[in-house]
Amino acid sequence: MLKLVLRGISANKGRLLLTLVSITLGVGAVSGSFVLADSLRAVFSDISVQAFAGVDAQVRAIEPELQSSQDLPRFDDSVIDAVASVPGVEVAEGGVFAFEQVYTTDSDGQVVRPLGPPVFASSWGGPTAVSSFTLVDGEAPIGQQIAIDEVQAKKAAFNVGDVVTLTVPSGIPEDFTVSGIIRFGSEPGGSGGAYFNLFDLPTTQRILNLEGQIDSIVVAADDSMTSDELLTAIGDVLPDGVEVVSSDTVIGEQQDQFGQIVDIIGNVLLGFAIVILFVSTFIIYNTFAILVSQRTQQIGLLRAIGASASQVRLMVLLESVVVGLIASIAGLFAGLGVAALLKWVFSLGGNQFPDGPLELRVRTIIVVFVVGMFVTVVSALIPAFKASRITPLEALQNTAQQQRSLRARIITGLVVLVPGLALLAIGLFGGSDNTSGVLTALGLGSALTFIGVAMLSALFASPVASALGAPVEAVKGVTGRLARDNAARNPQRTAATATALMIGLALITGVSVLVQSLRDTFNDIIDNSLSADLFIFEEAQGLPFSAVLVDQLGAVSDVDLVAGFSVIEAKVDGEVESVGGFDTATGTGVVDVGILEGTPELASDEIALNDDKANDAGYALGDSVTIEFEDGAVDTFTVASIYDDATLAGSMYLDRSVTSEHVATDNVAFVGLTYVDGADPAQARAAVEEVTAAFSQVTVQDNAEFKASQKAQIDQLQFLLFGLLGLCLVVAFFGIINTMALSVLERTREIGLLRAVGTTRSQLRSSIRWEAVIVSVFGALLGVVMGLLLGWAAVSAVGDFIPNLGIPWPLLIIFLVIGAVIGVLAAYFPARRAAKLNVLDAISSTS
Amino acid sequence: MTNTEQVATAVAAHAIAASKVYGMGDTEVHALREVTVSFDTAKFTAIMGPSGSGKSTLMQCMAGLDRLTSGQTFIGDVELSTLNDKQLTLLRREKLGFIFQAFNLIPTLTAKENITLPLDLAGSKGDQAWIDNVIETVGLGDRMKHRPNELSGGQQQRVAVARALASQPEIIFGDEPTGNLDSRTSGEILDFMRRAVTDLGQTIVMVTHDPITAAYADSVLFLADGLIVDRMENPTADSVFDKLKHLGD
Repeated sequence: MLKLVLRGISANKGRLLLTLVSITLGVGAVSGSFVLADSLRAVFSDISVQAFAGVDAQVRAIEPELQSSQDLPRFDDSVIDAVASVPGVEVAEGGVFAFEQVYTTDSDGQVVRPLGPPVFASSWGGPTAVSSFTLVDGEAPIGQQIAIDEVQAKKAAFNVGDVVTLTVPSGIPEDFTVSGIIRFGSEPGGSGGAYFNLFDLPTTQRILNLEGQIDSIVVAADDSMTSDELLTAIGDVLPDGVEVVSSDTVIGEQQDQFGQIVDIIGNVLLGFAIVILFVSTFIIYNTFAILVSQRTQQIGLLRAIGASASQVRLMVLLESVVVGLIASIAGLFAGLGVAALLKWVFSLGGNQFPDGPLELRVRTIIVVFVVGMFVTVVSALIPAFKASRITPLEALQNTAQQQRSLRARIITGLVVLVPGLALLAIGLFGGSDNTSGVLTALGLGSALTFIGVAMLSALFASPVASALGAPVEAVKGVTGRLARDNAARNPQRTAATATALMIGLALITGVSVLVQSLRDTFNDIIDNSLSADLFIFEEAQGLPFSAVLVDQLGAVSDVDLVAGFSVIEAKVDGEVESVGGFDTATGTGVVDVGILEGTPELASDEIALNDDKANDAGYALGDSVTIEFEDGAVDTFTVASIYDDATLAGSMYLDRSVTSEHVATDNVAFVGLTYVDGADPAQARAAVEEVTAAFSQVTVQDNAEFKASQKAQIDQLQFLLFGLLGLCLVVAFFGIINTMALSVLERTREIGLLRAVGTTRSQLRSSIRWEAVIVSVFGALLGVVMGLLLGWAAVSAVGDFIPNLGIPWPLLIIFLVIGAVIGVLAAYFPARRAAKLNVLDAISSTS
Repeated sequence: MTNTEQVATAVAAHAIAASKVYGMGDTEVHALREVTVSFDTAKFTAIMGPSGSGKSTLMQCMAGLDRLTSGQTFIGDVELSTLNDKQLTLLRREKLGFIFQAFNLIPTLTAKENITLPLDLAGSKGDQAWIDNVIETVGLGDRMKHRPNELSGGQQQRVAVARALASQPEIIFGDEPTGNLDSRTSGEILDFMRRAVTDLGQTIVMVTHDPITAAYADSVLFLADGLIVDRMENPTADSVFDKLKHLGD
């Protein structure tokens, strides 16, 4: 039995090889995402341990429920002395840091920052026992001195003794002398690409506008107490709202935080891996189905000489087990390559990962083998059952495979499709807040939808392929006729082959529709809702910046109206929500949020609501809304206006004079301004840029530039997604090669006959090429149609934020062309092989 | 009767010292040993011989489906060994017709399309009156829109014969064209081939192992061990059978 299986595999080596490639790609992606995540987790967890070496405990403010900034909550620095006076405490170093507030500038006045990772401004007490930083060169900073991390120093060529100009929240640039070069932890690369600007504590507090505040005290103690005793002793001297935790707790929390980021990266990759595997299943299914049908006579003979149906079934399944095993081994190693490659790709984006070995865990090996084998065997199940239904009689007469009845096919197709569509609808429109539930519904829903469409597409594969082939026949004559007929002759095979391409292109088209809609929405807003002459924002990551800038801009003589927009976190009627802060007095001249009812200008006790939000929560003009802020204040606001545009203003906003009162750091995310009538735009802009120069991280753009920069960001997102989804097309490409190669093999005698009666090699190649083109264009067409539907559904589901449905017609044409090109390329080897067949051998071949 | 003699001596295809060796050294098999033979125009020739006698090899080499080890084969006055694959293909398409034992037709094409396939491949319309005549003679007028799997074995072979005739080739080669058919159907096909020669002036060379089939031919060539051992004119089933019995002697 096993001998038969192994012989069968080795006889079909070539045919199984391409199947192996597609499974290996999928399994490799799974393995790669695990290896990468494990490697990063291990390395970062080492760094946390390093950074807290020598620390016994940390004092910090208790995390409040509401937090508008990404900085830690702060407490009074008088606590430092209280902690230091606890018996047994040897070092108590208070510190404060801020995220993306302070930047160095290079000699051209340009901001120095990495692409992606953050920039921290932090206090540093020097290389003490509790320090997270190691001094590489120079000394710790004192007064108007700064210590800079080695990655940043290298990039901007800062050396000890240089004078560097810094952008600070006050809006008045300051010069600092570089006192030292440092690194986070003790090994290079520990910061993951983040930049650090370190100052002594009083200077940090001053430039961050946080006099008297700190966010942590790191403590080292002598050996006179156990860890618990130390925590208790310190806890006793702490005021309300401040807590003490052991260094192990902090390390654990940091590892969890890193773990969450790593998990996101890992899960995104895993998601794409699953899509690739899903596409592969159709190819595996197709290969085994063809192999079984080609061996009908052989299987019939086995049945005739006494093999039982279950033995035949087992034979096919064992074949798939062996294929799955080989693919899993190959995929495991491919995964190591994938992980190394991804690490390198990330490093291009500025995320320097610390060096470390690739972690290949036993868990990864098990998962890879289980997934590889499972996918292969499940895909081979239907072909195996079909094989077991072959009767001995079929060994004698090579009858065409019986087609399943149309009705059965429609029913099974619908049984799969309908729940798939239902799940998609629930995921998109169900309004659930449970993200993983929504993702599961969407994932499972699309998978079932694709399977259902694949099954039903066999019903119309023949007529559609025939219709697609009609122009080919018209141009190429009988060669085209053969291509057309061959593409239409086995609708199940055509459908299964086209499915892989369909899924890839459906996802790509869906993304394109979503992205185009986003683009159209932005353009629409910029054209119709923004009347500002200039926009000021942080372009790289949309980070907030100091609100001081708004006041400074208001003082520029060429500037008429200035409006800033900020976002804070607050509890609205008991629910935590994002609340906007908008300069409503000047704002309407700058931004049109589409006021439906009420007045645009808000008093300090008034609130504006988006119409959908108002409908959902049952608010009308004049109703009151209770809001609790992060500083603990609770106020009641009257609904004074209802507006239309959620994309720009979110679901609700207050006047910015209200929101700025309640936050620790007064930041804005976006500023728009208009020039006074008759101002010279170039001169006015120069005046504005003179002011913004003090905030080197912000960008000033006019309408056209703003449009272009929004488009560039969306394009970037699109290219990233295209790159990842492009892998599906690679798998589909292998699938088409595979099917074409198997079909050519199956038609050996026919090809011999064609050659005998006068088909030239180039005519034969052309015929096979066009057949592949028809099949792949069929798949591409299905994919584009499905993608349009998915994209439309997705855009409708988020209609509040993306009201415009954009269909990228030129791209859709390109996708169809790509489908055709994939067909041409995939046909290359099968066509060459067919053309090379010896006429006599081909005619006299038995299969 | 000078006119008839001229026709009788015209040669459609011939071979000079044609040899074909398969394999090398110990496994060397001489399928053809310096065979010199000619096939007359407008004649029906049968090639007979036991298995391994080289009868199929001779036909395949004459038809440009296989290449000789040494010697020459000619279709008309074109020497096949001088042609490359493309030229050979075009020669098969324009000057030769084929009837195989089985699997003669492309399953996706209708009977009519199969008949005109060589013409379509050449992008030529062919002689429409001739094609109509052929189809009428084959007697499958009502089945022309059917696909091969909707035709009986005999009907399929008739379509194959019609295809071979459609381009008015210089010579038609048949490899056991009735080998898969029952005797009654077989008789119909052979009658039809006979008429193609007698009435339409076609030239047919056919490999067979069956004396009854061979009796439809004008002459029979006997091969054994790669050599032509005899030639019989106006054969009957009995005379061919007798000859075969004594071929091994």
